[in-house]
Amino acid sequence: MNSVNSCNQPRMYPVLVTILLILLTGITMLGRLFSKSWDSKGKHCYVTGGSSGLGLAVAKLLVLKGAHVSIVSRDTQRLENAMKELEAIRTSPSQIIKSYSYDLVTATGASQALDAVCEPHQGRNPDAIFMLAGSCHPRFFIEETEETMRTQMDQTYWVQAWTALEASKRMVRDKTKGKIVFHSAYIGYITLIGYAAYGPGRMALRALADTLRQEFLLYDIDIHIAFPGTMYTPGYDIENATKPKITLKIEETDPGVTGDQYAKGLLRGVQNGDFHISPDLLGNIFRASMRGVAPSGNFFVDSLWNFIGWVGLPIWRISVDSTVRGHRKEHEEYLANKGFYSSKTKASATS
Amino acid sequence: MLHILGLGNSVLSLTLSTLLIAFWAMWPTKKWDPRGQFCYVTGGSSGLGLALAVALTGRGAHVTIVARNEERLAKALAEIEANRQNPNQILRSYSYSLTDPEASQAALGAASEDHDHKYPDAVFLCAGAATPGFFVEEDAKSMQKGMDNTYWIQAYTALAYAKHLARKQTQGKLVFTSSLLGYMSLIGYSTYAPGKHALRGLAETLRSELILYNSSVHIMFPGNIDSPGYEEENRTKPKITLEIESTDRPTAPDVLAKELIDGVRRGDFHIAPDMLSNIFRSSTMGATPHQNVLLDAFYAGIGWIGLPLWRRSVDSKVLGHREEHKEYLQTRDFFKSTA
Repeated sequence: MNSVNSCNQPRMYPVLVTILLILLTGITMLGRLFSKSWDSKGKHCYVTGGSSGLGLAVAKLLVLKGAHVSIVSRDTQRLENAMKELEAIRTSPSQIIKSYSYDLVTATGASQALDAVCEPHQGRNPDAIFMLAGSCHPRFFIEETEETMRTQMDQTYWVQAWTALEASKRMVRDKTKGKIVFHSAYIGYITLIGYAAYGPGRMALRALADTLRQEFLLYDIDIHIAFPGTMYTPGYDIENATKPKITLKIEETDPGVTGDQYAKGLLRGVQNGDFHISPDLLGNIFRASMRGVAPSGNFFVDSLWNFIGWVGLPIWRISVDSTVRGHRKEHEEYLANKGFYSSKTKASATS
Repeated sequence: MLHILGLGNSVLSLTLSTLLIAFWAMWPTKKWDPRGQFCYVTGGSSGLGLALAVALTGRGAHVTIVARNEERLAKALAEIEANRQNPNQILRSYSYSLTDPEASQAALGAASEDHDHKYPDAVFLCAGAATPGFFVEEDAKSMQKGMDNTYWIQAYTALAYAKHLARKQTQGKLVFTSSLLGYMSLIGYSTYAPGKHALRGLAETLRSELILYNSSVHIMFPGNIDSPGYEEENRTKPKITLEIESTDRPTAPDVLAKELIDGVRRGDFHIAPDMLSNIFRSSTMGATPHQNVLLDAFYAGIGWIGLPLWRRSVDSKVLGHREEHKEYLQTRDFFKSTA
């Protein structure tokens, strides 16, 4: 009789564990609610790459939130158009909204740009640096030259590292409290055929951000780094001009977002104090699968993302590898058409 | 309750099928044998590179070492010669500066002259150096040098070699040397970790891309190596970084060289030569091929709990260092300087 009764009793342990997990998740999320969120209102935000794409989208959001915004990029025409857009959404006459044309791939350029943006603010350093400048030029590795590889490293890593260096020196010297926001990409977590020159730069940024997160515990500077995937911006068109067909094919599964959509997630991540910012499903799975030593979000949610990645990513990779394997013949014909087999020492970079 | 069981069933089936695929992928294939192979070792005049060159020679390979310093190369070649197994082995050394792209190409060309214009069967990129320091004390030159001595010093050779493999439609092996600092980073390594992570990025892309040319890629992630390079590195390393690393004893180069050869022979993509490296490898797996699925899960489990705890303890060490660091910067006149 006893055994019949015990069969009908609900199992307590799984229910208790589930309730415990829900409670713990809830508590950590509540904790987030009650911690102070960063407010950009009245703060001076410096946005590199701010004249188009993600940079412009973030600059617009910051203006709407009442921040003073300085945008920097190279192209003066694009800066002019961007300024029109920013002025149109100004929230108060006291907002300082300015644009500057500088090339940020050298330390000197980064330094001069910073001097210029500080001027209207009595030489005071910006409160937040959003480093959103850069571009992507994928191609087959064997079609790269050392020049194209260096340019790609300039346009991923150095264009942010120099600004970070110059800004950090000023902020530490002046004992400024502030934020430095890097941007990497999905490719900074998980790379793909065609990105041999681009992936290293994106991963290098992740390493720099990870180092500085810890090192800047010595100062009052927060570090953030965002990891967007496919974004429908002018940059995306530039990227696709050189991208190998096989890379495009493999990337079909990433639905992509607009610059405006991603900007919202990025800013929210900065406001919440997230270190690695990945406001989308794939980004979260990649981040949790590569977590290593980096501080992460919610322990339990991240465990879920990590598990999904643990099972799903090998399956994805195996299918990509077999796609590449199947592409061999087509690739050999492609190279033959480009005269690759007949050229002497260096193959010239193709555009 | 039933649909939870159903979900559990699906998860179980999915996990089992993944494990099956993974085990199938791990099925032992023919092991690579260095005997008679033309092996090209950069950074081959000291540390890990030299130990590797000696070990490969001991296994009957033809070995060419490349580095900058001619004196060190001469001494190294003598050591390699002392381990010669048979009179047919071609053992050579060449002096080139591999942070230069033209030199990297020329070095491969020079080495191939000894082998009837045939390029190496395997390229081992062991060249590299670290100069740790505080980020705010770096400048354009030191940061460029950091990237040169971690990334470009291996990437240029990789580019020249890969182009040759594609053009001649021959098989090859490309072996990079990263570091634990290619899996994670620490205070003081802002000029080193980025380049070592960049190498991982390059290796990961090429593992997939060189399938097109029937060639394989490997990358090792050692911790501190008991070598002249390590002594050099410690001269500029911030005290706090030394403190954090004090529990990690440097490994002898010949131990690492053996791990490297064994890893390449097994066909491992990431070669993690010790427990710590394996924990970091499994905790930053992403889409990198697993090695032993169960063992990797074990390492990842340790890492998932252990690494955040370790990081917190390091973070609090750094926080406790604030005052001392401020005084240090003051003695360097940092607060007085105009940027």
